[in-house]
Amino acid sequence: MPIVLISSSPHGSGRELAQNLAEKTGWTLYSRDQVVEKAYETGIRLSRLETSIIKSPVIRENLARERDLYLALVAKTICETATDGNLIYHGRAGHLIAPGIPGVLRVGLGSTLEMRIDRVMKQLNLPQEKAREYLEKLDEDIEKWIRYIHRETSRNALAYDLFLNLQHMTLENASTILYETAILKDFRLTLEGRNKLDDKCLAANAKIHLARNPETSGMDLGIRAVNGAVTVTYMPRQEVSAASISKALRGLKGCRENICTMAETNILWIQESFDPKGENFDQVTQLAKRWGAAIELLRLDSEGKEIFLNHGLENSQSGPRSSQMDTGGVEDDDIDTGYEDKGLSETVEELVAIGRSAGGFSISGAAREVIDAVKDNNNYSLIILGNLFLSKGHETSTRLTRELGLELKEKLKAPVITSGELHSRFLFGKKQAFKLLGYVLATFLIYWLVFSFQDPILNILGGELHSKFKWAASIGIALFVPVVAYVYSTVTGLVLKIVDID
Amino acid sequence: MEHLIVNFIHIDMSTALQIVLLGFIGGVLSGFIGSGGAFFMTPGMMNLGVEGVIAVASNITHKFGKAMVGSHKHGEAGNVDKKLALYVLVSAVIGIQLAVFINSLLFKGGTGHGASKGAGANLYISLVFTLILSVVALSMLRDVLKNRGKGDDDSGPSRQIADALARLNLPPMIHFKVADVKVSLWILLLVGIATGYLAGTIGVGGFIGVPAMIYVFGVPTAVAAGTELYLAMFMGAYGALSYAFQGFVDIRLTMLMYLGSLVGIYLGVYGVKVVNERYIRMVTSLIILLCVISRAIAIPMYLRQLGLIDMDPGLDVYFNNISKFFLFASGISGTLLILINVVRSYRQRRKIQKSIRVVKSSSSKLSLGVE
Repeated sequence: MPIVLISSSPHGSGRELAQNLAEKTGWTLYSRDQVVEKAYETGIRLSRLETSIIKSPVIRENLARERDLYLALVAKTICETATDGNLIYHGRAGHLIAPGIPGVLRVGLGSTLEMRIDRVMKQLNLPQEKAREYLEKLDEDIEKWIRYIHRETSRNALAYDLFLNLQHMTLENASTILYETAILKDFRLTLEGRNKLDDKCLAANAKIHLARNPETSGMDLGIRAVNGAVTVTYMPRQEVSAASISKALRGLKGCRENICTMAETNILWIQESFDPKGENFDQVTQLAKRWGAAIELLRLDSEGKEIFLNHGLENSQSGPRSSQMDTGGVEDDDIDTGYEDKGLSETVEELVAIGRSAGGFSISGAAREVIDAVKDNNNYSLIILGNLFLSKGHETSTRLTRELGLELKEKLKAPVITSGELHSRFLFGKKQAFKLLGYVLATFLIYWLVFSFQDPILNILGGELHSKFKWAASIGIALFVPVVAYVYSTVTGLVLKIVDID
Repeated sequence: MEHLIVNFIHIDMSTALQIVLLGFIGGVLSGFIGSGGAFFMTPGMMNLGVEGVIAVASNITHKFGKAMVGSHKHGEAGNVDKKLALYVLVSAVIGIQLAVFINSLLFKGGTGHGASKGAGANLYISLVFTLILSVVALSMLRDVLKNRGKGDDDSGPSRQIADALARLNLPPMIHFKVADVKVSLWILLLVGIATGYLAGTIGVGGFIGVPAMIYVFGVPTAVAAGTELYLAMFMGAYGALSYAFQGFVDIRLTMLMYLGSLVGIYLGVYGVKVVNERYIRMVTSLIILLCVISRAIAIPMYLRQLGLIDMDPGLDVYFNNISKFFLFASGISGTLLILINVVRSYRQRRKIQKSIRVVKSSSSKLSLGVE
């Protein structure tokens, strides 16, 4: 059964199309207006957030929390409304509200500015020029909203499964096309999709629950739910409230277990398979300990194979997983997830044991899917790309990894490195010790030369030689200074790395 | 032709150590505040007897190398908008050229009229320094004090100017992909010229560049810092080349500053991670204010040297010492405040790391505790 998410420009017939489809199918209809009402009931200051985004692109930390809460509320509302698997949602950036959930139909609706102006003139009783100004300003403000809230632009074609242009099509025909598309097998919510939706719902519930709890409200928390297990990361300064997090989550509907990790920051580690006994694991955890970071694992099936063995089966009979697990008591930890794990859960267990886990999950696909899966929880200091594209040859694998890294770096605005670079860049070993020795000697040599031969140096800087060769002297200085800075900064960087201040 | 070599100071061990210390304090403040640290290092060197123009030239050269290393690191993190930097750079070059021209003119103009050589440039640099940084420090302090006790919601800096400028829509508007903002070309030029002029005059560019990018252009903080460093690299290169061509750069000073600053900057950055924002802004504004007072105290000395006021030359040493006292008091106390927090947090982190114990549990048990 389908979940249809419709997005259109303001006064662009999105509401009418959604209503038409709902009348045709009897599927549940939900709009952003209802989410806004719920936001006010929940105490989320949406108008303040909107005004802030529109007035200035510089958003304060507390408004970022408001943003996360709003997104959690949207996710919770969608998941709860789509319990029977049928939902038509329409509203601002509707196609972006369930990122990373496979089987959801994301629809864009296009209509010309003139059509929208006509509608505004009628609905708001405005003259044509005023209506145009109103719409242009509104479009601009909404684009700002989409960029800040969803870290996306409405013009990204890859974010839509279907885009309907109403310029040469009646609303009725558009609705029929939409219906025919929605019932295709590709847009049925699979077990994988449903589980991800349930996890999203659980994470959203946990976020809202913790935000409303007086003992945990105002904390900067990273929350992810995977297979009913909620992982929460909190800042060291909030250590005193840590016990309250666990307490608050006890008995939360669908929460099988919760893991709280204290972390100053997060590291995202992406691989095809994990091994807690491998060298990479030691290196990543060593770095996490130095940075006080939690590690989030993402198992990427880059082949695009369906991770869930029973993917493709319609799951309407089985019902949502959360309904099977809402006892709130101790459940069997080893639920049958039914997918190829490739060391993920074992590695998460190991990270939990050393207090560095920010959770772990699997997805299939490429960069787009990775971005969708992590962008709502994106506060990574580093993204590490491990073994990926293993079925390809070495060269192809290296190229694809590099391309993935570039895309993640651009979209998630975080440094991306490969696991091969990890040691040389962030850790201290034999190679770094030799490097340090070399650079220390080079630094001594440079400083000894300059301070032992000050007279000729001063002559070049402002003496007779300078008068004769002004350009050569200036260029010489401009070339020499960065070399000194580079050589000496390498020394300081390596020394401070030894004492864990980097 | 008279060579400029006579203007370079003699560097003995004591002077060298003081310059290293200046560099270290400048580095800590630079890493903590996010500016270049020139507001401390330039007057600091002037207090050690370095001519103002040589202090600025050596400092801008120091900034050039440092920015090159820093922007490379920011570039790896995706925090550099090269297109934005290019636009600001073009206009900043005009500003730098203007600054170099005025400084050189004033420096040369000091001879032949009974005035001490360099006093004109020193006075001019001190006046610009005092004026600009007073405005910066007082606005920052007012902001902190105004919002005191209002709770978390109002802890951000004032956005009145930003909001007013955000409503301006002067075409042509240029889109910057990395920073993801649209900015009017005219505002870009204005900010670029101001940044370049200040960088060239007092070696302080980041004080204008970073807040302007954040509040006027709407650039994310990390991208503003990365782009400013990238920009500083070119501005520094241009400034260094221009001053070196005039014979004002003393690379010995630059190198000694590196010895301290490249260690200090790491500690300052670490401090930012462990200290809350209100405290950062409070410490920053107080440090800058003390620096401003220090420079203002030296102004009568330059006025006397230029023959503009009648004052006993024997008093110069007192003015210089009091100025030096305020400068070092600001830098040392600010640095100590930052370092105390760094050490405290470092030790705390170590302690917590050692005491972490984990209990993986179902929802009925406590998950993680700290012994």
